[in-house]
Amino acid sequence: MAVIVVEQINRGKKLICRDRFESDSVEIGRSYQNDIIIDDPHICPEHLNIQFDGEHWVVHDQDSLNGSFLDESKQNADKHILHSGDIISIGKSQLRIVFPDHPVSATVKFSPFESLIERTRKPVSLVFSLAIFTLMSGYLLYLGKQTEVTFTQVFVPAIGMTLGFSLWPAIISLISHLTKNDARYWSQIGISFLIFNFFWFSDIIEYVLHFNLSSAWPVSWITSLLPITLAFCLFWLNCYIGFHMSGKKRVIISASLCLLIFGGTYLVSLSNKPDFRDRPTYDATIMTPNFLIAPSTPANEFIENAKQVFEKAEKKKDED
Amino acid sequence: MKRVFCLLFAILSISVNAKEQAGQIFEQLAPSLYQIKIIELVSGEKATIGSAFQITKGGLIATNYHVVSGYARHPEKYKMEYLDNDGNKGELSLESVDIINDLALVKKLDDEVSQNPIFEISQQAPLKGEELFSLGNPHDLGMIVVPGTYNGLLPDSFTDKIHFTGSINSGMSGGPVVNGDLKVVGINVATSGNSIGFLIPHDKLQALYNEYLVEPPTDITGQIAQQLKAHQAKLIEEVLVSNWLQKPLGKGSIPTIDAPFIRCWGDSNADKESALLLSAVASCSLEDNTYIENNFFTGHLVMEYRYLSAKDISDTKFYHLYNQKILSARAYNKVQKDDVTEFSCQHDIISPENQTMTQKAVFCARAYKDFPELYDVIYLSASVDKNQQALISNFTLSGVKQESAFAFMEKFIEAVAWQ
Repeated sequence: MAVIVVEQINRGKKLICRDRFESDSVEIGRSYQNDIIIDDPHICPEHLNIQFDGEHWVVHDQDSLNGSFLDESKQNADKHILHSGDIISIGKSQLRIVFPDHPVSATVKFSPFESLIERTRKPVSLVFSLAIFTLMSGYLLYLGKQTEVTFTQVFVPAIGMTLGFSLWPAIISLISHLTKNDARYWSQIGISFLIFNFFWFSDIIEYVLHFNLSSAWPVSWITSLLPITLAFCLFWLNCYIGFHMSGKKRVIISASLCLLIFGGTYLVSLSNKPDFRDRPTYDATIMTPNFLIAPSTPANEFIENAKQVFEKAEKKKDED
Repeated sequence: MKRVFCLLFAILSISVNAKEQAGQIFEQLAPSLYQIKIIELVSGEKATIGSAFQITKGGLIATNYHVVSGYARHPEKYKMEYLDNDGNKGELSLESVDIINDLALVKKLDDEVSQNPIFEISQQAPLKGEELFSLGNPHDLGMIVVPGTYNGLLPDSFTDKIHFTGSINSGMSGGPVVNGDLKVVGINVATSGNSIGFLIPHDKLQALYNEYLVEPPTDITGQIAQQLKAHQAKLIEEVLVSNWLQKPLGKGSIPTIDAPFIRCWGDSNADKESALLLSAVASCSLEDNTYIENNFFTGHLVMEYRYLSAKDISDTKFYHLYNQKILSARAYNKVQKDDVTEFSCQHDIISPENQTMTQKAVFCARAYKDFPELYDVIYLSASVDKNQQALISNFTLSGVKQESAFAFMEKFIEAVAWQ
């Protein structure tokens, strides 16, 4: 008795199901007498069988209507001597034949992210992340209101915002589910909201820098890098949780998403830029005095520095 | 009854006299009175019309700068034509301008020596209450004479302007205003409706003409640039030597300038119970500005202050709302893309020498494209040293040189403080 493994795979070479046989012959077709029953209308009731002749496994097409082919060469698979890993197309389905001694890839060690992900999906930390997010969005709404507001006026939209943001992990889980990956919805929620909360933190850092540093510092570079980095981490972790893919592919996908979102917003802002702005664009970020760390510049130094503003204006004149 | 009748008769006879006089004036001077049309070359239609009057036998004609501004700024796009009382037309050349006082001298290109009586510029200013006659072509309806009274110079205008009681209408701009002796004492320039008219005093025209006799300008844009520079220097100097009065605004102390040509206004929301912030504003600004061309003005000076104080809200909320109030500083002069660059800005945390207030300060400037060394500047500062009170101080100057902006800024920063 020979041992053989037959895997049904989809067009993306993803495994659908796998059967192991200890026999010298495996019958494949649509009828119920077969060893492997494939529900594909383009496959004949008795489509093909593979037989062990004592030395090799050989494919025998049973005069099927649509034939059997080898995946790579597109050549007829009838009478083909199988090698481990060969893929046979029948109808619109694909089968991969593997011998028991087929090599498997090395074991992947649990990455440190795995424990982080495990921790974030625990009910306590999930509730904590969601609560922080809701409170922060509610607080910011409250800060921006010009008039007095009631609790519900602030928290109904804040909860709405939290629900809105949980669509993102939901979409990722749905995609993983549809691509035959584990959905891992709570892990996605946990990680996503952890990073969403980091965004609040990065906003605060951004404000403090804008408030304290003078225009001589290239603050906007630092402050735009921070959210891009966070977004990259979010996408990377989303991919890590939701999909089996190589590290390289994960980085490429995360970077492309960042590029799409931040590059896209940049392009949109460029296209919305008016032909001529008669109002100045300046940075007048202010925070409460306890956030003021930087020493103040003497007024005469500020005036001295203003010479550069005139120089810049002259330069713009030359450019136009 | 008899007395009333007499009085009525007297009024009637005066007005009949005035009418007769007006008729005579018109007859005598009509041949030297012109309508000026600025013709757009591509469409061949007029873009601007105004009135003008001849002041030399050699064909030199005086009018308002704003009538010919289109041609002065874009000579490649327009041509200037005159139309005299007999319906004769001809082209004009631009000889000289006074952009500050809104005057221009143009000249007939045909070089014909006129046989008609010309307008003579008066040697002295009229007396208050004196009857004057304004001539011009309102709304392209034909030349008319409007009698009115001289009411002296406007007390709060930086540039001299005569207050004339008589209805001046658009289209009469650039027309002469003569006294009973037919001497020019003013030039129509503006109206604010209801028989309130404004005239340029005759001495400004005399000065422009004298300068022209000495040395006619070669480049009108260069001449305008020189005049703008001289004007801003004079204005800022006068502002800086004026008395700066410290006035309280909430718990802040702000400077106002004690000069007749700068007026201040104020308001607050003290009556609004529901407001989370108490807000008091004060602003001071120069009454007049300079017209360069349609949609391009300069010569503004505006100072604005706002005091804010929190009412039962946290410091963070107070600062959040306060921050929203300092995001929309702007310059007040109308400009177009071709006139100026966009603003360049800088910001920093500063404190003046007296150390009384730590503030976030923003300074922005944009350059004039055709007039070198002139800029519009904006300064904005917001106090960041008190948890529940704030003072925003802001000024904008348009059409100033760097030195003027710095001198003003230095004095301004030192003058804003807590009480």
